[in-house]
Amino acid sequence: MTTPSLLSMTAPLRDHFSIPFHDFGPSGAPPRLALVAGLHGNELNGIFVLSRLAEFLRRIADGTRGGQALNGRIVVVPAVNVLGVNTGSRRWPFDKTDINRMFPGYDGGETTQRIAHAVLQATRTAHFRVDVHSSNADFEEVPQVRLYEPSEDERGTAMLFGLPAVIERRTDQVFTSTLGHAWRTHGGENFVIQAGRAGDLQLPHCERLFRALVAFLHHTGLVSGVALAAEDQDTHYFRRDQTLPLVSDHAGLFVSHHPVGVWLQAGALIGEVYDGFSGELQAEVRAPAAGMLSGIRRQPLLYEGDLIARLQTRASMGERRELKGQEQ
Amino acid sequence: MHRPSASVSPLRRVKNTMEIVQDSVVSLALPYRERLQVRRTSFVGHGGGPRVAVIAGIHGDELEGLYVCHRLAEWLEQLGETHPHALRGRVDLIPAINPLGIDTLERFVPVFDADLNRNFPGDTEGLLPQRIAAGTMAALQGAALVIDIHASNVFLREIPQVRINQDFAATLVPLAQGMNLDLIWLHGAVTVLEATVAHSLNSTGTPCLVVEMGVGMRITPAFTDQVLIGILNVWRTLGVLAPDFALPPPTHQPLIADDWNVHYLNAATSGLFLPAIDHWMTVRHGDLLGRIVSPQRGGTLAEVRSPVDGVLFTLREYPAVYEGSLMARIMATDAH
Repeated sequence: MTTPSLLSMTAPLRDHFSIPFHDFGPSGAPPRLALVAGLHGNELNGIFVLSRLAEFLRRIADGTRGGQALNGRIVVVPAVNVLGVNTGSRRWPFDKTDINRMFPGYDGGETTQRIAHAVLQATRTAHFRVDVHSSNADFEEVPQVRLYEPSEDERGTAMLFGLPAVIERRTDQVFTSTLGHAWRTHGGENFVIQAGRAGDLQLPHCERLFRALVAFLHHTGLVSGVALAAEDQDTHYFRRDQTLPLVSDHAGLFVSHHPVGVWLQAGALIGEVYDGFSGELQAEVRAPAAGMLSGIRRQPLLYEGDLIARLQTRASMGERRELKGQEQ
Repeated sequence: MHRPSASVSPLRRVKNTMEIVQDSVVSLALPYRERLQVRRTSFVGHGGGPRVAVIAGIHGDELEGLYVCHRLAEWLEQLGETHPHALRGRVDLIPAINPLGIDTLERFVPVFDADLNRNFPGDTEGLLPQRIAAGTMAALQGAALVIDIHASNVFLREIPQVRINQDFAATLVPLAQGMNLDLIWLHGAVTVLEATVAHSLNSTGTPCLVVEMGVGMRITPAFTDQVLIGILNVWRTLGVLAPDFALPPPTHQPLIADDWNVHYLNAATSGLFLPAIDHWMTVRHGDLLGRIVSPQRGGTLAEVRSPVDGVLFTLREYPAVYEGSLMARIMATDAH
């Protein structure tokens, strides 16, 4: 059986390439679930996890996993930016465009417009759609579901992943060109998952994410016969006014010991900023309010205005204008 | 795990007595469902003549040689239609030794950040760039002549020239003189250049001429026409083409430059360099070659004047300069 692909293309000097995907379960109906990762070629956590999920689903579909069954059609695209994966690039390595800024795409357009179009065509008929990202190479985020002005159904379904956080965000103008936004115009239930940091693989986040996807398959009935560990159901929901970004007024070298996902008290020390020449402490970065550290800077080079951390709080922080960064 | 480079099944086409074969001299697996292939097109005659090669694309931002290879392939395919017996030897074209770099607009090998032309002779059991180098060497060793076509970089435009290490001058200069080029630059031995493909070939008995032409990230068709004529004439001299096969004659005779008569003009200050003259012009001592200006204000920050009577053979293409950036090179033509 040949591997299906979203499209096939030539390249100037690299080999002709395709964007392969997995298609499990009965082929007659539209997919019940579509999973996509690797729109950004350096976001490896999602690529790895979706490939491992595909292997898991393959063994269920083949009957190798006794007592487990696949009850619907699932499309899995482990990596869209295939040429970017092999060169460690977030962007399409030839023209440096961001595939997740090219949606809904256009099949007669530029290369990444064609790729975006093919991704949307292959996934838009699914009911549940999940786009898996890492944060960018500078930042690490706790595995989380991001909801952009969700429906009530999406609010409920998001809890089924059992990830540490479900976070509501406001839609931004730049995000209207993303896959997640393009999906919304086709109804269904749409989720963006962020886990870890680009450029690298963080196995604990990958394991949490894999269990979350299996939990989702269980709770939606797509797979039957799966048992879940209790701690995977410890999920916190955060509204739009419960996100507190910490933005730096200083430049220098930022260092921190904290893992993501920890709960901090108000005033807790998050990290320090040093002068790279004199070694002097320029600033201590402290939590302005109690909350979960959902994301933290891992790139020590710090510029004025850089995002140092994000806290998810119980108290209302008001709605803050989120930074335009390279996340998602 | 060591695995020898596998060749793709060669595509063979036969035109009377000329075969055209396409294969890979390097084939390496990449992490996600892709192979890196260094592809070769061979035009194989059967007249007992020698094997020669043209290589390009070691640096992913140097495209001129890729176009030269296209023009050579077209000429040879045409020869196969009209005069297949005129090819007595064998021509190997390897236009893209750094295919990942070319396709990502990177001079070096992406991910490894390796200058391929500082990784020769390579190692079949080394890192990816070293395996590319080793596979390339294996494909070229024993040729009667290898021509390695470079295209400077994005900053500097070069008139078509050959660069020859003094150590190999005796063998290479006579060949270079028939190449229809404007300049032969003899340079002293430089340790860092011992890791180039040319040095590795020359020091193991395979003559290799380094051609520099044009500028990075561009194709200069006029230079290509000139170099094409030179390459075909040299091949005929070597017996790759039949001795009586008519070719356009060379029209350029090279000047000889060396470390003593080449003058460098480096920027005295940072800004935008605006040339005042054309490339490959005869210049006189004191002539204005260009100016450095500031985007913040009018006027001239620095004038750039020729230190000698001579010929301008390198001229900056990329306008921005730092203090010290090379703006031009002049070969002095007054007696010294």
